[in-house]
Amino acid sequence: MEERRELTFKVQCFNPEVDDKPSWRSYNVELEKGITILRAINHIKDKLDPSLTMRFFCQAGICGSCAVKVNGVSKLACTTQVWDEIATCNVEGVIEVAPLKNFKILRDLVVDIDPMIQKLRNHKAWTVPDLPAEELGIKEHAVSPEEFEVINPATDCILCASCYSECSLSEVSAQYISPLVMLKVYRMQADKRDTLNEERLQIAVQDGGIWDCTHCYRCVEACVKNIPIMDAIQGLRHESLRRKMDFTEGARHALAFEEDIESTGRLVEITLLPRTLGPLGALKQIPFALGMAKAGRVPPLFPHKSKDHGNLKRMIKQLRKDQADNANQGS
Amino acid sequence: MKYAYYTSCINESMTKELDKALYLWNKEFGIELVRMEESTCCGGSNMEFVDPELFLVNNARNIAFAERMGLDLVTTCNTCTLGLLEAKHRLDHSEKARQMVNKYLQSEGLEYKGTRKVTHLLWVLNEEYGLDKVREKVTHPLEGVKIAPFYGCHILRPSALMGKRDNPYAPASLDLLIQALGGETVEYKSKNKCCGFHTLLVAEEESLQISANALQDGLDAGADFIVTPCPLCHTAMDAYQPKALNERQDKRRIPVLHLSQMVGLALGYSRHQLGIDKHVVTKPVAV
Repeated sequence: MEERRELTFKVQCFNPEVDDKPSWRSYNVELEKGITILRAINHIKDKLDPSLTMRFFCQAGICGSCAVKVNGVSKLACTTQVWDEIATCNVEGVIEVAPLKNFKILRDLVVDIDPMIQKLRNHKAWTVPDLPAEELGIKEHAVSPEEFEVINPATDCILCASCYSECSLSEVSAQYISPLVMLKVYRMQADKRDTLNEERLQIAVQDGGIWDCTHCYRCVEACVKNIPIMDAIQGLRHESLRRKMDFTEGARHALAFEEDIESTGRLVEITLLPRTLGPLGALKQIPFALGMAKAGRVPPLFPHKSKDHGNLKRMIKQLRKDQADNANQGS
Repeated sequence: MKYAYYTSCINESMTKELDKALYLWNKEFGIELVRMEESTCCGGSNMEFVDPELFLVNNARNIAFAERMGLDLVTTCNTCTLGLLEAKHRLDHSEKARQMVNKYLQSEGLEYKGTRKVTHLLWVLNEEYGLDKVREKVTHPLEGVKIAPFYGCHILRPSALMGKRDNPYAPASLDLLIQALGGETVEYKSKNKCCGFHTLLVAEEESLQISANALQDGLDAGADFIVTPCPLCHTAMDAYQPKALNERQDKRRIPVLHLSQMVGLALGYSRHQLGIDKHVVTKPVAV
């Protein structure tokens, strides 16, 4: 016998033509096990409230159009089982469905993704091949399995925007590049057929770009395709450093860690600020530093050196030599 | 119980009180901590992309010291935990990576074998030590104290690296520790959110907003203090608290305690002994 139960769907609704702000509407429904969130919402629309608005298309986890927040977490409505969500309810038997965060709401569960699309445009998130236009689609442009493996996970992205909705930085900055745009930028710039490398990276390292990611891993956790998005963000940072694009605060900050692991083994915090911000930027931080000093919270003038640090230093020297030899062999 | 205690850079500089508090009670708990004087910076979640090979060699060396001591490695910093776990994960899943690091480690007579655990003090108290034993040790239960747990990102995410522990969307380990100490946990939305620390010097305005969101959330929920298992979260939320809240014309203040200080309070140590008076925000301010 099929399992059925009564549940309440608490849906965040908003019609900008009549409402000042979003409000919650509750619908009591009897559902059978096996039904998805999307089917449940459509059931409510059919039977209880024809005005309830939601965007969906493929209903198979491919098109990425139906992402919403279910019990507070951004995910695809069409691949999420209602029965799986019962355990995550704040109130027993009440499933909360809300539009994605960090977007303007157009109506009920539908958000305006235009700013995200504009960011993909701004960041040139497409490949620019070296084939002349007349040869495109005619001449083969082969990619080996090894070359494809580098971008393989990133090609799974369906732009559902769950990561955009969960992103800590996007929550406080509408300008911020966002995880999925970084993922796409990585996917394009690591594509062997692409010719735009440096130009695309130059845009990506600007203010509000790849260096503003705060490493919270919320995007990785939320990705409906299990894409290791942080690998792409780190990949872009690595590539920009490899190309000596080390003029940003983010790049200088990251390089300071390498410098200190090599020189003392421990982070030399007393100079981290000027090394990251430069002399002028550091000057602006003097009031804050004085406040810290007043509370007695100052890093030591002469940081501790790790015991036997010379051994690590020798290893790093050998590693650098091996890396240089490998690079020479490769070229 | 005996652990190799990994030295986190920040606990030797900006948050010295974390260790000061921990060293007051770890022996009382029967947890022996052997300080790893040879350990080096985990890379602060930057070395993974600055130089992935050096990231692996450096952290393989850190873990190899613990293996040589025959002890599991424990940290009191979320980001150190993540850096070491990330390296361990890559090494344990790749013979090639192990060969690469061991080529360098052998010059110091070290070898990475993958035989020892990397763990965090919060996990040790929950899993190996056990909250029942914590409960027995409590002499000054935190009765009536409303405490907002702030987990920090790198002890929850990426959850695939953290073992079968907290649900990153509904973590419980710190809540359970608070309850074991007799305190009352405060439910608030920010408990599994970000503190903004890692971009404080790079995107300060945004980072302060992230930290202010969490602080105001804790204040609105009526917490007496916030507690965190991570000294980096502590720095973003204590040292930067006046700056973050002033930006929003919010004059309220909320103390942020290290996990080690909260345990110390339940054992009857004074605020001074625990270094709580060394924080930037030493007492709550209501408006």
